[in-house]
Amino acid sequence: MVEALGSLAMSNVLRPYLAAVRSTLTAALTLENFGSQVVERHNKPEVESASSKEVLLNPLTISRNENERVLIEPSVNSIRLSIKIKQADEIERILCNKFTRFMMQRAESFIVLRRKPVAGYDISFLITNTHTETMLKHKIVDFIIQFMEEVDKEISEMKLSLNARARIVAESYLTAVSNCLT
Amino acid sequence: MDTAFRKIDIDIYDEDVLQESELYEADPRDPAEVLEDAKQRAAHVRSLLAKNDIPGALTVILDNAPYGPNVDDAKIITLQTLLTILNTTKSADIPGVIKALSLDTQDTLMKYLYKGMAMPGWGDISGSVLLGWHEKLTEVAGVGCIVRTMTDRRIV
Repeated sequence: MVEALGSLAMSNVLRPYLAAVRSTLTAALTLENFGSQVVERHNKPEVESASSKEVLLNPLTISRNENERVLIEPSVNSIRLSIKIKQADEIERILCNKFTRFMMQRAESFIVLRRKPVAGYDISFLITNTHTETMLKHKIVDFIIQFMEEVDKEISEMKLSLNARARIVAESYLTAVSNCLT
Repeated sequence: MDTAFRKIDIDIYDEDVLQESELYEADPRDPAEVLEDAKQRAAHVRSLLAKNDIPGALTVILDNAPYGPNVDDAKIITLQTLLTILNTTKSADIPGVIKALSLDTQDTLMKYLYKGMAMPGWGDISGSVLLGWHEKLTEVAGVGCIVRTMTDRRIV
């Protein structure tokens, strides 16, 4: 019961942030097929190649505080969304690093995940016009929002179980030591 | 062997290359004039805030907001003044205030909200206040307002 209340309170604090990301992402996901203007018969995500600046739109940042922010870089045929995940202490930083690394090594299973994060962020997604054509746009938005909700929860859960495990290990080790000494 | 020449961007020497300045119409005013104007407006806003006229204060500060390069001081004064307005407004009043604004003013307000969120921790920026305004503004002005923020090259 207490846990349920806790998660409810957290989602209420988080809600305006996620709502802002959702509306910005919905606005940015208006993509079309667009071939490169520099190299003939090439078709690359313009936000990555950045070869012609007239097709890049203004990047938008949504932030709750310095440690939690989302950067959305739209362009004519692709958008890049980078997330900075909340990391309060050293353990959370390590867990976050391992968690995002695990996912980014399996980026092709997530389809829209980028293999490397943009500098200053923890994880990045690259959504192109092919993705919006083959998948439902609102489902992509839902996926990103759900990811953002889950990742905070996942990391705090891992931190809790890590601390519990450390406590058990220390306890059993020290009992053995004290048994030897007496 | 020296390979630095491979990194030279030869496209910038093309004669029909697109310049940054061709993407939008530059502000015809002189930077010093813009700065003076921003200071006057900040004073005007303070007198309006004393009378509790929040829609009026927002219209004064957001109409003809400074944009483009070379006017960073004026931009910062405008942002600071806007933040005092946003921080003093009660959250229950926000929808009414936004509905009283014109379409262009709403768009400029959205630009400033994103500008504020892009620099967290600066001055008296509070993430939750900006997110609250953003949510209410999106409810009133719709997603189109965000699209106009993304596409307008006149960055505030």
